[in-house]
Amino acid sequence: MAAPEDRRQAGVRLSLLQYLLTVVFTVLAVSFWILQVVQHDKFEEMAANNHQRTLALRAPRGVVFDRDGRVLVENRHSYSISIVREHTKNLDRTVQLMSAVLDLPEPRVREIVERHRREPAYRPIVIVPDATLAQVAAVTARRLDFELPDVVVEEVPTRQYPVDAMAAHLFGYVGEVSDAQVAGGSELKSGDIVGQSGIERVYNDLLMGDDGEKRVVVNSVGREIRTLEELPPTEGKRLELTLDYDVQKAIEDAFTVAGFNGSAVVLDPATGEVLGLSSRPAYDPNAFASGIDRATWATLNTDNERPLQDRAIQGRYPSGSVFKMAVAAAALEENIVDPDYKVFCPGHATFFGRSFKCWKAGGHGWIDMRHAIEQSCNVYFYTVGNMTGIDKIHKWATLLGLGEKSGIDLPGENKGLVPSPEWKRATFNEKWYSGETISVSIGQGAVAVTPVSMAVYMATLANGGTRVTPHLLKRVDDGQGWKDVPAPAPQSKVTMNSDRLQAIRDGLWMVVNGAGTGGRARIAGRDVSGKTGTAQVISNQGRAAARSDRDLRDNGWFVFFAPRDNPQIAGAVLLEHGVHGANAAAVAHHVLETFFAKKDGRPLPPAPTDLKLNIVDPLYRGPARPTGDDPRPDVVANN
Amino acid sequence: MFERRLYFHIDWALVIALLGLCALGVTMIYSATTGSGSRLFMTQIYAIVIGLGALLVTVSLDYRTFTDKSHLIYIGLCLALIYVIFLGDVQMGARRWISLGGFNLQPSEFAKAGVALVLAKFFGEQRGAPGWPTLAIGGALTLIPLALIAKEPDLGTAVTLVPVFLAVAYLAGMHMRILGILALCLVMAAPIAWKFALKDYQKSRISTFLDPTQDAKGAGYQQIQARITVGSGGLTGKGFMQGTQGQLRFLPVAHNDFIFSVLAEEQGFLGVLVALGLYLFVILRTLEAARLSKDRLGSYLVLGVLASFTFQVVYNITMSAGLAPVKGLTLPLMSYGGSSMIATLAAFGLVLNVRMRRFTN
Repeated sequence: MAAPEDRRQAGVRLSLLQYLLTVVFTVLAVSFWILQVVQHDKFEEMAANNHQRTLALRAPRGVVFDRDGRVLVENRHSYSISIVREHTKNLDRTVQLMSAVLDLPEPRVREIVERHRREPAYRPIVIVPDATLAQVAAVTARRLDFELPDVVVEEVPTRQYPVDAMAAHLFGYVGEVSDAQVAGGSELKSGDIVGQSGIERVYNDLLMGDDGEKRVVVNSVGREIRTLEELPPTEGKRLELTLDYDVQKAIEDAFTVAGFNGSAVVLDPATGEVLGLSSRPAYDPNAFASGIDRATWATLNTDNERPLQDRAIQGRYPSGSVFKMAVAAAALEENIVDPDYKVFCPGHATFFGRSFKCWKAGGHGWIDMRHAIEQSCNVYFYTVGNMTGIDKIHKWATLLGLGEKSGIDLPGENKGLVPSPEWKRATFNEKWYSGETISVSIGQGAVAVTPVSMAVYMATLANGGTRVTPHLLKRVDDGQGWKDVPAPAPQSKVTMNSDRLQAIRDGLWMVVNGAGTGGRARIAGRDVSGKTGTAQVISNQGRAAARSDRDLRDNGWFVFFAPRDNPQIAGAVLLEHGVHGANAAAVAHHVLETFFAKKDGRPLPPAPTDLKLNIVDPLYRGPARPTGDDPRPDVVANN
Repeated sequence: MFERRLYFHIDWALVIALLGLCALGVTMIYSATTGSGSRLFMTQIYAIVIGLGALLVTVSLDYRTFTDKSHLIYIGLCLALIYVIFLGDVQMGARRWISLGGFNLQPSEFAKAGVALVLAKFFGEQRGAPGWPTLAIGGALTLIPLALIAKEPDLGTAVTLVPVFLAVAYLAGMHMRILGILALCLVMAAPIAWKFALKDYQKSRISTFLDPTQDAKGAGYQQIQARITVGSGGLTGKGFMQGTQGQLRFLPVAHNDFIFSVLAEEQGFLGVLVALGLYLFVILRTLEAARLSKDRLGSYLVLGVLASFTFQVVYNITMSAGLAPVKGLTLPLMSYGGSSMIATLAAFGLVLNVRMRRFTN
């Protein structure tokens, strides 16, 4: 047995241990109290951050219909694969595994991540914007095996536009909101997809829905366990456009067959409703829908043919003889001449000591206004323009919509130019020479117009003086049914003398149905009225001297309305380097034929396979180009 | 053998506390693992049953029978440990197990009681305060199995043998001065151990502990998650099977090393108090058994058994709260693990044994 001494000492030592351990356990209890009670809120939040994620539910943008309720722009489901660095354990490993699973070059993935490095870590970095189903399956299957809680597959509604870039400029495209747009106020937030051009931009507020969100519980490898709360997204408002799909399709088809760049705008002359609007070359807006890649963007931007430009509202072109109706309107409305006023055309005329040519070398002889329009006689309009004066010409050209913005509901419209003494003084600080009036009278000189303003010009002549505002939006469905959108007020309104205006209309009718140059647009029984214009890109002398490969062939215009009495359609077609306005008339013919067939309920004409254009360039001096069947008669300019 | 009257001297309070902790452990294992369809809690219940069987054995024979044979037990253990090093089963990068047809035995768990037995006998035969030679021999007896276990490698379990030696020597009357010197040696040895003895993962665990944020997604991850788990539990907890950290696996090996964190998360501070109270009760009750022992041998044995148990309990609970470096040390009686459960219950059989036979000769 132990000695009493030992026993006593052992007892003391055991008591010491007893106290020590009691203290240790008290310290432990206090530590837990601090963690669990004092600091509870902090840790509770950290735990919530661990297992709760808020996922954005992207709202689809509003569907866009044509005037007959045909779907033009809709949404499809696509999947994006992203990395959320907030949940990343090892970014290197994630990048490696991801590029292996998705079969992407690793440097590219790394570059994408690098580019977004400065963004907040909770923002997903989209690696594959529009993933294939195979990619989605590969990622979701392996994400859990490899424990990649930071890889997220998101369902994103993506814009789907019609095929073949139809009306691309009109629809525009969408893209991630820029920093400037976010800073510009409104309710846009970083990462939002907004319209960047076309109606997508103009009506962005209507088209954009309200994103929803979903709070989910995830486990440590990012698998969703259950949904805590779901706020469904609200789809954007549905829009019905004034656009007529069949008319638009006819324009696109005809342009495709014609093979020229250019533009066409077709309106309802009574209201200004846009039935069709096209600009060529176009881009595919679908390429932007899920984030355009940099190479495609760079190609679009550096392309010499400038596919991103909406030529319909931004392209400024010399008008050529199409301008002559503005001179006629000014002379008639200001009572300078009456329609029967005749001028003798010997093929040239002298004003202010300088000789001006008519395009027809032998001259037209005695000619009145109707025939001067039909024949596009330069001498007649030199004479009448000189009598009318630049101020009145400018006034009436403006009233008819030339040299002005049309006010169409598309972004970035450019203004054309109708020169005037004020303009010359303001721009060059020079005085106006009367000789310049002579050039302007046949649409030469500084005259520049956009295709949409040409369409408005024809609509105004067709409706008798109301400069309608072209517009695209017809009805909006805000979720409670379709509501009409009131048409915008006309830009200006004058009442033109109907007898005198009829003379112009007669002339235009004769251009198509008589001996004029617009015969290609003729449709039996439809009284198509129009005017061709062939506008030089460069002066004859300059062209003869030019030694460049640039396409220097003339631009071809055809402007029209139909029928002559109570017109239902008006518009303008421009073929860049189309050689002659008659070729533009051939394009317009298919559009008009389609329009009237639809009106009558007849089957629509099939897409043309050959417009039989005459593209032999009479002034071409360079190496031989492929020639057409019969060379055009000797044309100098402007007919 | 088992005399009838001994039955009345069994410390039923201690037995009930032990069973209470076992039940708490099974409940938490159930909560942490059944979500994924696992039936680990059943395995744990089998282990408890076997452990109680082992306890019956260790309580029935007089503890002096065990200490008399302690040298044989000790040699047997060392042989088993050597066997493990060369022929043991490899799991998770370490050779720790002997496979016994469907059941894996971990000899290192039994080494704790074995060392307690051999040290109790050795120090029990000495008279007076142990001097240097005694301490050296006692130390050597501890170091042999310690080194073998560390070699597996299982540094955590190996280290639990140190308190066994220190506690028995302390109770044997080792001068406090010597204790101080030993403590100093340990402190001095730390940098050397850091440089030569520790593996990289062990170093990173320790350096991470000093600053968990330096590697928040790697080694520090578990520690931060442990703290979040405990802290988010609050006063009353998130409820049975309602813990997010454990259920959603933000906390690794929740049923094993971090079972106490799961308890703290789901049962809150109140649950923690209950568990801490039970452990403290077991410890104080065992200390009392040491005090009541009729001989020094019994006191040494009880304290030796208690030392590794207490060390593990305190360390694991501290670690569960993210307040100590993460180390593979389980929580005795609660963590999932058969060998540990059986060895611990068997060891407490010895404690009951000593107390029960305090009046016998």
